[in-house]
Amino acid sequence: MAIMPDRELKKGNAELLILALLEEKTRHGYEIGKLIAARSEGVLRFHVASLYPLLYRLERRGWVKGEWEPAGGRRRRYYRLTPTGRRILAEQRSRWRAFSGAVNRIVEVRHA
Amino acid sequence: MPDWKKIVREKLGTLPLTHGRREEVIEELAEQLESAYEEALAQGINEQEALQRSIAQFKDWEKLRREVFQSVEGTHLPVWEQNGAFAPRRWPVWIALALALSLLLVPAFRQALAILLVPGNDTTAWCSRIFPEKVLRRIEQSGDKEKYARALAFVALHSPKEDDERAMHAAEKAIALDPNLTWISAKVSHPTYLYPDYDPHPWIERLKAWDPQNGFPYLLEADANVHYWEPPWTKYAASAAILRQSLAAERRWRIPMEKVFAAPRMDFYQLHRDAYTRLLPLLRRGARADEAAAVESALAVLPRFDYSVGGPAHSSLKAAAKRSAQVILISAVFVAVLGLLTALWLVLVIVLRWKRNANSLSHLLNRLASPLCFAPPALLLVSVALFLGYYPYARSIAQINSYQELEYGYVPVLMGLDDLTSFVPLTDFWVAHMFWPSLWCAAVALAGACLLWWVRRLTRPDRPDAA
Repeated sequence: MAIMPDRELKKGNAELLILALLEEKTRHGYEIGKLIAARSEGVLRFHVASLYPLLYRLERRGWVKGEWEPAGGRRRRYYRLTPTGRRILAEQRSRWRAFSGAVNRIVEVRHA
Repeated sequence: MPDWKKIVREKLGTLPLTHGRREEVIEELAEQLESAYEEALAQGINEQEALQRSIAQFKDWEKLRREVFQSVEGTHLPVWEQNGAFAPRRWPVWIALALALSLLLVPAFRQALAILLVPGNDTTAWCSRIFPEKVLRRIEQSGDKEKYARALAFVALHSPKEDDERAMHAAEKAIALDPNLTWISAKVSHPTYLYPDYDPHPWIERLKAWDPQNGFPYLLEADANVHYWEPPWTKYAASAAILRQSLAAERRWRIPMEKVFAAPRMDFYQLHRDAYTRLLPLLRRGARADEAAAVESALAVLPRFDYSVGGPAHSSLKAAAKRSAQVILISAVFVAVLGLLTALWLVLVIVLRWKRNANSLSHLLNRLASPLCFAPPALLLVSVALFLGYYPYARSIAQINSYQELEYGYVPVLMGLDDLTSFVPLTDFWVAHMFWPSLWCAAVALAGACLLWWVRRLTRPDRPDAA
Protein backbone atom coordinates (compact mmCIF):
# COMPACT_ATOMS: atom_id res chain seq x y z
CA MET A 1 0.00 0.00 0.00
CA ALA A 2 1.35 3.41 -0.94
CA ILE A 3 1.56 5.47 2.18
CA MET A 4 3.28 8.48 0.68
CA PRO A 5 1.06 10.41 -1.71
CA ASP A 6 2.42 10.74 -5.19
CA ARG A 7 2.28 14.54 -5.11
CA GLU A 8 4.44 14.76 -2.02
CA LEU A 9 6.83 12.26 -3.49
CA LYS A 10 7.16 14.25 -6.65
CA LYS A 11 7.66 17.51 -4.84
CA GLY A 12 10.15 16.26 -2.33
CA ASN A 13 12.34 13.40 -3.29
CA ALA A 14 11.61 12.26 -6.82
CA GLU A 15 14.84 13.69 -8.18
CA LEU A 16 16.88 12.06 -5.44
CA LEU A 17 15.27 8.66 -6.06
CA ILE A 18 15.98 8.74 -9.78
CA LEU A 19 19.53 9.99 -9.40
CA ALA A 20 20.21 7.31 -6.79
CA LEU A 21 18.91 4.55 -9.05
CA LEU A 22 21.08 5.76 -11.91
CA GLU A 23 24.17 5.82 -9.72
CA GLU A 24 24.57 2.05 -9.96
CA LYS A 25 24.07 1.65 -13.70
CA THR A 26 22.29 3.04 -16.72
CA ARG A 27 18.54 2.38 -16.75
CA HIS A 28 15.53 3.05 -18.98
CA GLY A 29 12.32 4.75 -17.84
CA TYR A 30 10.21 1.63 -17.47
CA GLU A 31 12.89 0.01 -15.33
CA ILE A 32 13.19 3.09 -13.10
CA GLY A 33 9.43 3.10 -12.39
CA LYS A 34 9.45 -0.61 -11.58
CA LEU A 35 12.54 -0.39 -9.39
CA ILE A 36 11.10 2.39 -7.25
CA ALA A 37 8.01 0.29 -6.53
CA ALA A 38 10.00 -2.90 -6.01
CA ARG A 39 12.75 -1.54 -3.78
CA SER A 40 10.33 0.36 -1.62
CA GLU A 41 8.22 -2.82 -1.42
CA GLY A 42 5.26 -0.98 -2.88
CA VAL A 43 5.39 1.91 -0.43
CA LEU A 44 6.51 4.35 -3.10
CA ARG A 45 4.89 4.45 -6.50
CA PHE A 46 5.69 6.68 -9.36
CA HIS A 47 3.16 7.71 -11.97
CA VAL A 48 4.79 7.21 -15.31
CA ALA A 49 3.08 10.39 -16.50
CA SER A 50 5.30 12.25 -14.02
CA LEU A 51 8.37 10.10 -14.53
CA TYR A 52 9.14 10.98 -18.12
CA PRO A 53 8.75 14.77 -17.79
CA LEU A 54 11.04 14.52 -14.75
CA LEU A 55 13.64 12.54 -16.69
CA TYR A 56 13.53 15.13 -19.47
CA ARG A 57 13.93 17.90 -16.94
CA LEU A 58 16.96 16.24 -15.38
CA GLU A 59 18.39 15.77 -18.85
CA ARG A 60 17.85 19.41 -19.72
CA ARG A 61 19.65 20.43 -16.54
CA GLY A 62 22.56 18.19 -17.51
CA TRP A 63 22.22 15.89 -14.50
CA VAL A 64 21.50 12.79 -16.60
CA LYS A 65 22.10 11.86 -20.23
CA GLY A 66 19.82 9.65 -22.29
CA GLU A 67 21.12 7.46 -25.10
CA TRP A 68 19.44 4.90 -27.29
CA GLU A 69 20.80 1.38 -26.96
CA PRO A 70 19.66 -1.94 -28.36
CA ALA A 71 17.84 -4.17 -25.87
CA GLY A 72 16.09 -7.46 -26.61
CA GLY A 73 15.57 -6.92 -30.30
CA ARG A 74 14.46 -3.30 -30.00
CA ARG A 75 16.04 -0.12 -28.80
CA ARG A 76 15.48 1.67 -25.50
CA ARG A 77 16.56 5.00 -24.15
CA TYR A 78 18.94 4.47 -21.26
CA TYR A 79 19.81 7.20 -18.81
CA ARG A 80 23.12 7.61 -17.05
CA LEU A 81 24.37 10.07 -14.47
CA THR A 82 26.61 12.89 -15.66
CA PRO A 83 29.40 14.29 -13.46
CA THR A 84 27.10 17.15 -12.52
CA GLY A 85 24.40 14.64 -11.65
CA ARG A 86 26.78 12.80 -9.36
CA ARG A 87 27.64 15.99 -7.54
CA ILE A 88 23.95 16.89 -7.16
CA LEU A 89 23.20 13.36 -5.94
CA ALA A 90 25.90 13.66 -3.29
CA GLU A 91 24.49 16.95 -2.10
CA GLN A 92 20.89 15.74 -2.05
CA ARG A 93 21.82 12.51 -0.34
CA SER A 94 23.73 14.40 2.32
CA ARG A 95 20.73 16.64 2.96
CA TRP A 96 18.40 13.66 3.06
CA ARG A 97 20.58 11.84 5.61
CA ALA A 98 20.73 14.89 7.82
CA PHE A 99 16.98 15.38 7.58
CA SER A 100 15.96 11.73 8.05
CA GLY A 101 18.47 11.30 10.87
CA ALA A 102 17.03 14.30 12.66
CA VAL A 103 13.48 13.04 12.21
CA ASN A 104 14.46 9.57 13.39
CA ARG A 105 16.13 10.91 16.50
CA ILE A 106 12.84 12.53 17.44
CA VAL A 107 10.39 9.89 16.27
CA GLU A 108 12.28 6.85 17.50
CA VAL A 109 13.13 8.15 20.97
CA ARG A 110 11.65 6.16 23.90
CA HIS A 111 10.73 7.96 27.05
CA ALA A 112 11.59 6.18 30.25
CA MET B 1 0.62 -6.18 -31.66
CA PRO B 2 -0.72 -2.62 -31.50
CA ASP B 3 1.17 0.15 -33.27
CA TRP B 4 2.34 1.88 -30.10
CA LYS B 5 3.96 4.83 -31.78
CA LYS B 6 0.77 5.54 -33.67
CA ILE B 7 -1.25 5.39 -30.46
CA VAL B 8 1.12 7.78 -28.68
CA ARG B 9 1.22 10.13 -31.67
CA GLU B 10 -2.59 10.29 -31.81
CA LYS B 11 -3.04 10.73 -28.08
CA LEU B 12 -0.30 13.30 -27.70
CA GLY B 13 -1.31 15.40 -30.69
CA THR B 14 1.02 18.09 -31.86
CA LEU B 15 4.16 18.44 -29.78
CA PRO B 16 6.08 21.44 -31.04
CA LEU B 17 9.58 20.11 -30.40
CA THR B 18 12.23 19.71 -33.06
CA HIS B 19 11.33 16.79 -35.28
CA GLY B 20 14.08 14.51 -33.97
CA ARG B 21 13.32 15.19 -30.32
CA ARG B 22 9.58 14.75 -30.85
CA GLU B 23 10.11 11.33 -32.43
CA GLU B 24 12.39 10.34 -29.56
CA VAL B 25 9.76 11.26 -26.98
CA ILE B 26 7.08 9.38 -28.91
CA GLU B 27 9.28 6.32 -29.22
CA GLU B 28 10.17 6.36 -25.54
CA LEU B 29 6.57 6.67 -24.42
CA ALA B 30 5.61 3.93 -26.88
CA GLU B 31 8.28 1.74 -25.26
CA GLN B 32 6.68 2.38 -21.89
CA LEU B 33 3.26 1.33 -23.21
CA GLU B 34 4.62 -1.74 -24.92
CA SER B 35 6.54 -2.88 -21.83
CA ALA B 36 3.45 -2.51 -19.66
CA TYR B 37 1.38 -4.36 -22.25
CA GLU B 38 3.80 -7.25 -22.42
CA GLU B 39 3.95 -7.48 -18.65
CA ALA B 40 0.16 -7.63 -18.45
CA LEU B 41 0.05 -10.39 -21.08
CA ALA B 42 2.69 -12.32 -19.14
CA GLN B 43 0.42 -12.15 -16.10
CA GLY B 44 -2.29 -13.90 -18.11
CA ILE B 45 -4.45 -10.86 -18.85
CA ASN B 46 -6.19 -10.87 -22.22
CA GLU B 47 -5.01 -8.58 -25.01
CA GLN B 48 -7.91 -6.13 -24.84
CA GLU B 49 -7.59 -5.53 -21.11
CA ALA B 50 -3.80 -5.41 -21.35
CA LEU B 51 -4.12 -2.73 -24.00
CA GLN B 52 -6.51 -0.71 -21.83
CA ARG B 53 -4.27 -1.06 -18.76
CA SER B 54 -1.25 0.03 -20.71
CA ILE B 55 -2.88 3.15 -22.14
CA ALA B 56 -4.45 4.00 -18.77
CA GLN B 57 -0.97 4.67 -17.38
CA PHE B 58 -1.26 8.12 -18.92
CA LYS B 59 -4.62 9.39 -17.75
CA ASP B 60 -4.26 12.95 -18.92
CA TRP B 61 -2.46 13.16 -22.25
CA GLU B 62 -2.87 16.92 -22.51
CA LYS B 63 -1.18 17.38 -19.18
CA LEU B 64 1.57 14.97 -20.23
CA ARG B 65 2.01 16.92 -23.46
CA ARG B 66 2.33 20.18 -21.53
CA GLU B 67 4.76 18.76 -18.99
CA VAL B 68 6.91 17.01 -21.56
CA PHE B 69 7.25 20.22 -23.54
CA GLN B 70 7.99 22.25 -20.43
CA SER B 71 10.59 19.74 -19.25
CA VAL B 72 12.35 19.53 -22.58
CA GLU B 73 12.24 23.21 -23.52
CA GLY B 74 12.19 24.76 -20.06
CA THR B 75 9.26 26.97 -20.96
CA HIS B 76 5.45 26.80 -21.25
CA LEU B 77 3.83 25.12 -24.22
CA PRO B 78 3.08 27.87 -26.80
CA VAL B 79 -0.38 29.23 -26.12
CA TRP B 80 -1.52 28.46 -29.68
CA GLU B 81 -0.42 24.84 -29.25
CA GLN B 82 -2.33 24.31 -26.00
CA ASN B 83 -5.44 22.19 -26.04
CA GLY B 84 -6.90 23.13 -22.65
CA ALA B 85 -10.59 23.98 -22.37
CA PHE B 86 -9.87 27.70 -22.61
CA ALA B 87 -6.92 27.61 -24.94
CA PRO B 88 -7.21 30.06 -27.87
CA ARG B 89 -7.36 27.26 -30.44
CA ARG B 90 -10.52 25.90 -28.80
CA TRP B 91 -13.95 27.50 -29.12
CA PRO B 92 -15.08 27.90 -25.43
CA VAL B 93 -12.82 30.86 -24.70
CA TRP B 94 -13.98 32.72 -27.83
CA ILE B 95 -17.61 31.92 -27.08
CA ALA B 96 -17.12 33.30 -23.56
CA LEU B 97 -15.48 36.44 -24.94
CA ALA B 98 -18.22 36.90 -27.54
CA LEU B 99 -20.93 36.49 -24.91
CA ALA B 100 -19.20 38.95 -22.58
CA LEU B 101 -18.97 41.50 -25.40
CA SER B 102 -22.51 40.78 -26.58
CA LEU B 103 -23.74 41.91 -23.17
CA LEU B 104 -22.75 45.39 -24.32
CA LEU B 105 -25.58 45.17 -26.81
CA VAL B 106 -28.05 44.95 -23.94
CA PRO B 107 -29.12 48.49 -22.96
CA ALA B 108 -29.51 47.55 -19.31
CA PHE B 109 -25.93 46.30 -19.14
CA ARG B 110 -24.62 49.46 -20.77
CA GLN B 111 -26.66 51.46 -18.30
CA ALA B 112 -25.17 49.46 -15.42
CA LEU B 113 -21.68 50.33 -16.68
CA ALA B 114 -22.56 53.96 -17.35
CA ILE B 115 -24.02 54.40 -13.88
CA LEU B 116 -20.57 53.80 -12.46
CA LEU B 117 -19.02 56.48 -14.63
CA VAL B 118 -21.68 59.13 -14.49
CA PRO B 119 -20.39 62.49 -13.28
CA GLY B 120 -21.58 63.81 -9.96
CA ASN B 121 -20.49 61.02 -7.68
CA ASP B 122 -20.57 63.53 -4.91
CA THR B 123 -24.25 63.49 -4.07
CA THR B 124 -24.10 66.89 -2.56
CA ALA B 125 -22.30 68.08 -5.67
CA TRP B 126 -22.21 71.53 -4.23
CA CYS B 127 -18.72 72.31 -5.27
CA SER B 128 -17.69 69.67 -7.71
CA ARG B 129 -16.42 70.68 -11.10
CA ILE B 130 -18.19 68.03 -13.07
CA PHE B 131 -19.07 69.83 -16.26
CA PRO B 132 -16.60 71.82 -18.32
CA GLU B 133 -17.07 75.56 -18.51
CA LYS B 134 -17.97 75.56 -22.19
CA VAL B 135 -20.64 72.88 -21.66
CA LEU B 136 -22.28 74.89 -18.90
CA ARG B 137 -22.11 78.03 -21.01
CA ARG B 138 -23.76 76.25 -23.91
CA ILE B 139 -26.50 74.84 -21.68
CA GLU B 140 -27.11 78.29 -20.19
CA GLN B 141 -27.27 79.93 -23.60
CA SER B 142 -29.69 77.28 -24.77
CA GLY B 143 -31.82 77.76 -21.64
CA ASP B 144 -31.83 81.53 -22.12
CA LYS B 145 -32.76 81.22 -25.74
CA GLU B 146 -35.57 78.73 -25.26
CA LYS B 147 -36.66 80.09 -21.88
CA TYR B 148 -36.12 76.61 -20.53
CA ALA B 149 -36.00 76.83 -16.73
CA ARG B 150 -34.62 73.33 -16.16
CA ALA B 151 -31.56 73.93 -18.29
CA LEU B 152 -30.81 77.04 -16.25
CA ALA B 153 -31.40 75.12 -13.03
CA PHE B 154 -28.94 72.53 -14.25
CA VAL B 155 -26.33 75.26 -14.71
CA ALA B 156 -27.07 76.62 -11.25
CA LEU B 157 -26.61 73.21 -9.71
CA HIS B 158 -23.46 72.27 -11.56
CA SER B 159 -21.44 75.45 -11.65
CA PRO B 160 -18.21 75.11 -9.73
CA LYS B 161 -17.90 77.08 -6.54
CA GLU B 162 -15.28 79.33 -8.10
CA ASP B 163 -18.04 80.52 -10.39
CA ASP B 164 -20.85 80.92 -7.89
CA GLU B 165 -21.91 84.16 -9.50
CA ARG B 166 -22.92 82.25 -12.61
CA ALA B 167 -24.78 79.73 -10.42
CA MET B 168 -26.73 82.48 -8.66
CA HIS B 169 -27.47 84.27 -11.87
CA ALA B 170 -28.73 81.08 -13.52
CA ALA B 171 -30.77 80.23 -10.43
CA GLU B 172 -32.44 83.64 -10.50
CA LYS B 173 -33.44 83.13 -14.11
CA ALA B 174 -34.61 79.54 -13.58
CA ILE B 175 -36.79 80.41 -10.60
CA ALA B 176 -38.20 83.40 -12.42
CA LEU B 177 -39.26 81.12 -15.25
CA ASP B 178 -40.52 78.32 -13.02
CA PRO B 179 -41.16 79.00 -9.32
CA ASN B 180 -41.37 75.23 -8.73
CA LEU B 181 -37.61 75.26 -9.00
CA THR B 182 -37.21 77.48 -5.95
CA TRP B 183 -35.69 74.51 -4.10
CA ILE B 184 -32.41 75.19 -5.94
CA SER B 185 -32.07 78.22 -3.65
CA ALA B 186 -30.93 75.77 -1.00
CA LYS B 187 -28.05 74.69 -3.11
CA VAL B 188 -27.16 78.15 -4.31
CA SER B 189 -27.14 79.50 -0.76
CA HIS B 190 -25.05 76.72 0.68
CA PRO B 191 -21.58 77.31 -0.78
CA THR B 192 -21.85 81.00 -0.15
CA TYR B 193 -21.08 80.34 3.51
CA LEU B 194 -17.51 80.21 2.45
CA TYR B 195 -17.56 83.72 0.99
CA PRO B 196 -17.56 86.51 3.55
CA ASP B 197 -18.83 89.08 1.08
CA TYR B 198 -21.85 87.10 0.11
CA ASP B 199 -25.09 87.00 2.08
CA PRO B 200 -27.05 83.75 1.70
CA HIS B 201 -30.03 85.02 3.69
CA PRO B 202 -32.06 86.32 0.73
CA TRP B 203 -31.96 82.82 -0.80
CA ILE B 204 -32.93 81.23 2.47
CA GLU B 205 -35.79 83.68 2.96
CA ARG B 206 -37.02 82.92 -0.54
CA LEU B 207 -36.93 79.21 0.27
CA LYS B 208 -38.77 79.69 3.55
CA ALA B 209 -41.50 81.58 1.76
CA TRP B 210 -41.81 78.92 -0.94
CA ASP B 211 -41.75 75.88 1.36
CA PRO B 212 -42.91 77.10 4.79
CA GLN B 213 -43.66 73.62 6.19
CA ASN B 214 -40.12 72.43 5.66
CA GLY B 215 -37.49 72.58 8.42
CA PHE B 216 -34.54 72.51 6.04
CA PRO B 217 -34.46 76.27 5.27
CA TYR B 218 -34.18 76.97 9.01
CA LEU B 219 -31.29 74.55 9.20
CA LEU B 220 -29.59 76.49 6.43
CA GLU B 221 -30.31 79.68 8.31
CA ALA B 222 -28.73 78.35 11.50
CA ASP B 223 -25.61 77.38 9.59
CA ALA B 224 -25.54 80.71 7.79
CA ASN B 225 -25.85 82.61 11.09
CA VAL B 226 -23.19 80.73 13.00
CA HIS B 227 -20.23 79.20 11.24
CA TYR B 228 -19.43 76.73 13.99
CA TRP B 229 -16.61 75.23 11.90
CA GLU B 230 -14.71 78.51 12.11
CA PRO B 231 -13.09 80.40 15.00
CA PRO B 232 -14.03 81.13 17.70
CA TRP B 233 -16.26 78.05 17.67
CA THR B 234 -13.46 75.71 16.74
CA LYS B 235 -12.15 75.93 20.26
CA TYR B 236 -15.11 73.77 21.27
CA ALA B 237 -14.51 71.24 18.52
CA ALA B 238 -12.79 68.75 20.83
CA SER B 239 -16.07 67.99 22.58
CA ALA B 240 -19.36 67.70 20.73
CA ALA B 241 -21.31 68.16 23.95
CA ILE B 242 -19.56 71.43 24.81
CA LEU B 243 -20.00 72.66 21.24
CA ARG B 244 -23.74 71.89 21.41
CA GLN B 245 -24.06 73.71 24.72
CA SER B 246 -22.20 76.71 23.38
CA LEU B 247 -24.29 76.80 20.22
CA ALA B 248 -27.49 76.48 22.22
CA ALA B 249 -26.48 79.57 24.14
CA GLU B 250 -26.12 81.47 20.87
CA ARG B 251 -29.48 82.97 20.03
CA ARG B 252 -28.81 83.33 16.30
CA TRP B 253 -28.27 79.58 16.11
CA ARG B 254 -30.79 78.37 18.67
CA ILE B 255 -33.91 80.12 17.31
CA PRO B 256 -33.71 78.74 13.75
CA MET B 257 -32.82 75.32 15.13
CA GLU B 258 -35.92 75.37 17.30
CA LYS B 259 -37.90 76.04 14.15
CA VAL B 260 -36.18 73.11 12.47
CA PHE B 261 -37.47 70.76 15.11
CA ALA B 262 -40.89 72.37 15.17
CA ALA B 263 -41.34 72.11 11.40
CA PRO B 264 -43.98 69.59 10.19
CA ARG B 265 -41.53 67.94 7.81
CA MET B 266 -37.91 67.87 6.76
CA ASP B 267 -37.05 67.71 3.09
CA PHE B 268 -33.45 68.15 2.02
CA TYR B 269 -34.52 68.16 -1.65
CA GLN B 270 -32.36 65.11 -2.06
CA LEU B 271 -34.56 63.63 -4.76
CA HIS B 272 -34.67 66.87 -6.67
CA ARG B 273 -30.91 67.04 -6.55
CA ASP B 274 -30.48 63.42 -7.53
CA ALA B 275 -32.66 63.96 -10.54
CA TYR B 276 -30.29 66.66 -11.64
CA THR B 277 -26.98 65.29 -10.51
CA ARG B 278 -27.38 61.68 -11.59
CA LEU B 279 -30.48 60.80 -13.54
CA LEU B 280 -30.46 63.40 -16.22
CA PRO B 281 -26.74 63.35 -16.99
CA LEU B 282 -26.99 59.59 -17.14
CA LEU B 283 -29.79 59.73 -19.65
CA ARG B 284 -28.08 62.36 -21.71
CA ARG B 285 -24.83 60.48 -21.76
CA GLY B 286 -26.76 57.54 -23.11
CA ALA B 287 -28.21 59.78 -25.83
CA ARG B 288 -31.64 59.17 -24.38
CA ALA B 289 -32.87 62.69 -24.85
CA ASP B 290 -36.50 61.66 -25.14
CA GLU B 291 -36.39 59.80 -21.86
CA ALA B 292 -34.59 62.69 -20.21
CA ALA B 293 -37.34 65.03 -21.36
CA ALA B 294 -39.95 62.55 -20.15
CA VAL B 295 -38.32 62.38 -16.72
CA GLU B 296 -38.13 66.13 -16.51
CA SER B 297 -41.76 66.57 -17.37
CA ALA B 298 -42.75 63.74 -15.01
CA LEU B 299 -40.79 65.35 -12.20
CA ALA B 300 -42.42 68.65 -12.91
CA VAL B 301 -45.96 67.37 -12.44
CA LEU B 302 -45.38 64.85 -9.68
CA PRO B 303 -46.49 65.73 -6.19
CA ARG B 304 -43.80 66.51 -3.69
CA PHE B 305 -42.51 63.42 -1.94
CA ASP B 306 -44.16 62.70 1.35
CA TYR B 307 -41.79 61.05 3.78
CA SER B 308 -44.64 60.03 6.06
CA VAL B 309 -45.73 57.23 3.71
CA GLY B 310 -42.54 55.27 4.31
CA GLY B 311 -42.92 52.00 6.19
CA PRO B 312 -41.31 48.59 6.65
CA ALA B 313 -42.12 47.51 3.09
CA HIS B 314 -40.50 50.59 1.66
CA SER B 315 -37.55 50.23 3.99
CA SER B 316 -36.95 46.70 2.77
CA LEU B 317 -37.13 47.93 -0.82
CA LYS B 318 -34.54 50.56 -0.05
CA ALA B 319 -32.34 48.00 1.68
CA ALA B 320 -32.59 45.68 -1.33
CA ALA B 321 -31.70 48.52 -3.66
CA LYS B 322 -28.68 49.41 -1.54
CA ARG B 323 -27.51 45.82 -1.47
CA SER B 324 -27.87 45.69 -5.24
CA ALA B 325 -25.69 48.77 -5.47
CA GLN B 326 -23.03 47.05 -3.45
CA VAL B 327 -23.22 43.96 -5.63
CA ILE B 328 -23.00 46.20 -8.69
CA LEU B 329 -19.91 47.91 -7.41
CA ILE B 330 -18.14 44.72 -6.37
CA SER B 331 -18.98 43.19 -9.74
CA ALA B 332 -17.85 46.34 -11.49
CA VAL B 333 -14.44 46.17 -9.81
CA PHE B 334 -14.06 42.61 -11.07
CA VAL B 335 -15.38 43.58 -14.51
CA ALA B 336 -12.75 46.31 -14.69
CA VAL B 337 -9.91 44.05 -13.54
CA LEU B 338 -10.95 41.08 -15.68
CA GLY B 339 -11.69 43.36 -18.62
CA LEU B 340 -8.11 44.60 -18.48
CA LEU B 341 -6.77 41.07 -18.12
CA THR B 342 -8.91 39.92 -21.04
CA ALA B 343 -7.64 42.77 -23.18
CA LEU B 344 -4.08 41.86 -22.19
CA TRP B 345 -4.74 38.18 -23.01
CA LEU B 346 -6.20 39.18 -26.38
CA VAL B 347 -3.18 41.30 -27.26
CA LEU B 348 -0.80 38.57 -26.16
CA VAL B 349 -2.49 35.79 -28.14
CA ILE B 350 -2.64 38.01 -31.23
CA VAL B 351 1.05 38.87 -30.91
CA LEU B 352 1.94 35.24 -30.28
CA ARG B 353 -0.13 34.18 -33.26
CA TRP B 354 2.05 36.19 -35.60
CA LYS B 355 5.31 36.05 -33.70
CA ARG B 356 6.13 32.42 -33.23
CA ASN B 357 9.90 32.57 -33.15
CA ALA B 358 11.07 31.14 -29.86
CA ASN B 359 13.03 34.01 -28.43
CA SER B 360 13.05 35.14 -24.83
CA LEU B 361 10.40 37.79 -25.48
CA SER B 362 7.92 35.33 -26.92
CA HIS B 363 8.66 32.98 -24.02
CA LEU B 364 7.82 35.77 -21.63
CA LEU B 365 4.62 36.70 -23.51
CA ASN B 366 3.64 33.06 -23.64
CA ARG B 367 4.24 32.68 -19.94
CA LEU B 368 1.89 35.61 -19.34
CA ALA B 369 -0.77 34.47 -21.79
CA SER B 370 -1.04 30.90 -20.53
CA PRO B 371 -2.62 31.60 -17.13
CA LEU B 372 -4.67 34.50 -18.54
CA CYS B 373 -6.81 32.12 -20.61
CA PHE B 374 -9.25 32.11 -17.69
CA ALA B 375 -9.84 35.86 -17.97
CA PRO B 376 -12.48 35.81 -20.78
CA PRO B 377 -14.74 33.20 -19.13
CA ALA B 378 -14.28 34.90 -15.76
CA LEU B 379 -15.15 38.24 -17.40
CA LEU B 380 -18.36 36.72 -18.71
CA LEU B 381 -19.30 35.52 -15.23
CA VAL B 382 -18.73 38.83 -13.49
CA SER B 383 -20.47 40.69 -16.32
CA VAL B 384 -23.50 38.51 -15.78
CA ALA B 385 -23.24 39.19 -12.04
CA LEU B 386 -23.16 42.93 -12.73
CA PHE B 387 -26.08 42.68 -15.10
CA LEU B 388 -28.17 40.66 -12.64
CA GLY B 389 -27.36 43.07 -9.83
CA TYR B 390 -28.58 46.02 -11.84
CA TYR B 391 -31.41 44.37 -13.77
CA PRO B 392 -34.20 45.06 -11.24
CA TYR B 393 -33.54 48.78 -11.70
CA ALA B 394 -32.93 48.68 -15.42
CA ARG B 395 -36.35 49.56 -16.71
CA SER B 396 -36.74 52.74 -18.66
CA ILE B 397 -36.34 55.68 -16.34
CA ALA B 398 -39.18 57.37 -18.14
CA GLN B 399 -41.43 54.73 -16.58
CA ILE B 400 -40.76 56.05 -13.09
CA ASN B 401 -44.09 57.49 -12.10
CA SER B 402 -43.53 59.01 -8.72
CA TYR B 403 -41.00 60.38 -6.35
CA GLN B 404 -41.69 57.36 -4.16
CA GLU B 405 -40.56 55.06 -6.91
CA LEU B 406 -37.40 57.05 -7.27
CA GLU B 407 -36.87 57.12 -3.55
CA TYR B 408 -37.33 53.39 -3.01
CA GLY B 409 -35.70 52.07 -6.13
CA TYR B 410 -33.33 53.92 -8.31
CA VAL B 411 -32.02 56.52 -5.92
CA PRO B 412 -30.98 54.01 -3.20
CA VAL B 413 -29.02 52.17 -5.87
CA LEU B 414 -27.19 55.38 -6.67
CA MET B 415 -26.75 56.24 -3.02
CA GLY B 416 -25.45 52.74 -2.33
CA LEU B 417 -22.76 53.33 -4.90
CA ASP B 418 -21.80 56.52 -3.16
CA ASP B 419 -21.67 54.73 0.17
CA LEU B 420 -19.14 52.32 -1.20
CA THR B 421 -16.96 54.90 -2.83
CA SER B 422 -16.73 56.99 0.30
CA PHE B 423 -14.25 55.98 2.93
CA VAL B 424 -15.96 55.05 6.13
CA PRO B 425 -14.72 52.92 9.00
CA LEU B 426 -14.81 49.22 8.25
CA THR B 427 -16.79 48.37 11.35
CA ASP B 428 -19.53 50.82 10.39
CA PHE B 429 -19.68 49.73 6.86
CA TRP B 430 -18.36 46.39 5.70
CA VAL B 431 -19.77 44.36 8.52
CA ALA B 432 -23.14 46.08 8.39
CA HIS B 433 -23.57 46.47 4.64
CA MET B 434 -21.22 44.18 2.81
CA PHE B 435 -21.80 40.79 4.42
CA TRP B 436 -24.69 39.59 2.26
CA PRO B 437 -23.50 41.18 -0.98
CA SER B 438 -20.09 39.64 -0.44
CA LEU B 439 -21.71 36.28 0.27
CA TRP B 440 -23.78 36.61 -2.89
CA CYS B 441 -20.72 37.46 -4.96
CA ALA B 442 -18.85 34.54 -3.40
CA ALA B 443 -21.76 32.26 -4.34
CA VAL B 444 -21.67 33.54 -7.92
CA ALA B 445 -17.89 33.04 -7.99
CA LEU B 446 -18.29 29.51 -6.62
CA ALA B 447 -20.97 28.65 -9.18
CA GLY B 448 -18.73 30.11 -11.88
CA ALA B 449 -15.73 28.12 -10.71
CA CYS B 450 -17.82 24.92 -10.75
CA LEU B 451 -18.98 25.77 -14.26
CA LEU B 452 -15.42 26.37 -15.44
CA TRP B 453 -14.30 23.12 -13.86
CA TRP B 454 -17.17 21.25 -15.52
CA VAL B 455 -16.41 22.73 -18.94
CA ARG B 456 -12.73 21.93 -18.51
CA ARG B 457 -13.55 18.37 -17.55
CA LEU B 458 -16.10 18.00 -20.32
CA THR B 459 -13.60 18.97 -22.96
CA ARG B 460 -11.04 16.34 -21.97
CA PRO B 461 -12.24 13.32 -23.96
CA ASP B 462 -8.94 11.56 -23.32
CA ARG B 463 -9.79 11.27 -19.66
CA PRO B 464 -11.42 7.92 -18.95
CA ASP B 465 -13.57 9.47 -16.23
CA ALA B 466 -14.61 12.53 -18.25
CA ALA B 467 -18.22 13.04 -19.09
